[in-house]
Amino acid sequence: MENLAGTELSEAEAKLVDVYRELHRIVDMCADELPPFALRNATKALSSLWQVMNGLDMDPGQLYDLGA
Amino acid sequence: MAESPYWNPRHETMPREDLEALQVRKLRNLVEWADAAVPWQSKRLRDAGVTADSVDSLDHLRRIPFLTREEWMQGQVEHPPYGPILAAEPARAIRYHMTSGTTGKTPIRVLDSMKDWEWIAEMWCYGLWGFGVRPADTLFVAFGYSKFIGFWGLHYAGEKLGCLVLPGGAMTTDQRVKEIVEMGATVVASTPTYALRMAQEARSLGIDLAGSAVQRVILSGEPAGSIPATKALIEEQWGAKAGDTAGMTELGTIMIFECAEQPGGTHIIEDHYIEEVVDPVTDEPVPYGEMGERVVTSFGRGFIPVLRYRTRDFVVRVPGSSCPCGRTFDIYDGGIRGRVDDMKLVRGTNVYPRAVEALVREHPEVDEFQIHLYTADGIRDEIEVLIEVPDQSVDADALCRQLAKELTDAHESLRFGVRAVELESLPRFELKAKRVTDDRIVIGTEDERRS
Repeated sequence: MENLAGTELSEAEAKLVDVYRELHRIVDMCADELPPFALRNATKALSSLWQVMNGLDMDPGQLYDLGA
Repeated sequence: MAESPYWNPRHETMPREDLEALQVRKLRNLVEWADAAVPWQSKRLRDAGVTADSVDSLDHLRRIPFLTREEWMQGQVEHPPYGPILAAEPARAIRYHMTSGTTGKTPIRVLDSMKDWEWIAEMWCYGLWGFGVRPADTLFVAFGYSKFIGFWGLHYAGEKLGCLVLPGGAMTTDQRVKEIVEMGATVVASTPTYALRMAQEARSLGIDLAGSAVQRVILSGEPAGSIPATKALIEEQWGAKAGDTAGMTELGTIMIFECAEQPGGTHIIEDHYIEEVVDPVTDEPVPYGEMGERVVTSFGRGFIPVLRYRTRDFVVRVPGSSCPCGRTFDIYDGGIRGRVDDMKLVRGTNVYPRAVEALVREHPEVDEFQIHLYTADGIRDEIEVLIEVPDQSVDADALCRQLAKELTDAHESLRFGVRAVELESLPRFELKAKRVTDDRIVIGTEDERRS
């Protein structure tokens, strides 16, 4: 997997990108199915992983519509 | 993998051309976001003919109009309480903060979301990690936790790093000093002024601060963190390395930090900010090595997109390669040199409080000081420096004469009075020091008369 600068990410970095994307999808699509503790903790985790995406040059955009 | 000295090794050591490409891409994203989410920003950008698609080099940054503090404050007056600058509904925010009001003006009010706060801490992580703070450290934060943003971000950065964080709010100075020693704190965060105040308190308590476990003092909130004499005094009194940082409420966090190599300046976190240095009068960019005003564009805080904010801070930018740490991030040599607003005109001579402090701190016998401006005989402005000299074995009169001569020599022969005053008669500060009192009714050659 390459970042937006064309740099090849390491295997571990690429896995974190996948985790972020999956977490983003869950918080975005499945919020109604999650109890408060699960949704808010997932949102907090998404906020932290956003920093990883940003630091890896994956331009993660904004998260305000997801409550983060 | 061996432990990296960098928080984000790829970015902090990136070749300058790659760094610039990253900044252009982030600038384009920021313009797109501000244009889409903040109608007030959108109008400003479009009036200037700037759209995201049109940004393809850093030269295009200069087409974006400056944002001034006055505009920001006026926006708050017209659209209370936050002004027209928010990119998301206030309900999406998790925290409110405001400026400290050092300049005596209406405070700037800011909101941030959960993700923004993670980013605010992330910026402090660059500084803490870069100065050598590690998970095994015990970090004491000497800060009155309040609506002033101060060291809030550092607190969360310490937690993110895995340090043991000791919040030092709502404590007296002697309580703080005792806890720092008793808990074996290895890192202390405070303003430069308060670091000296705590050292003073330790002496009066008979505590050997230099013999404590403290190895690093993280400074912020005042330019003094990069004044060599002040810093040397802090390092001597604490027996620890002192590292400067600087941030601002308008950005939510720090934008510069001193690395462990202590190059005499602070690295700009250039993967998260574009920092320009311009002539404060002509607005033209100034080259490396020349003093100018900082103008900042921030990529991180999405709730309040900040594009070309005029900070009023004076800086001198030099290449990152002037530091042996390996970072390519440029450096503000001497940190924040002062503020455009701080300059005092005294009988035609410019006087900067930082320059006065630099000379005063060359004399460690001086415990505290104040700069006092007043009108003599109803017609002439005068400047004097009031000092406290606690050591009774010091010849205070000779010290006053010597300091007066040094100040005069450094200010185009401008006459300075220096007076030793009663101990503990000058104010002490926990946050930003206010060491200038201007009681003049007639000001310099401007012939401005106050009522």
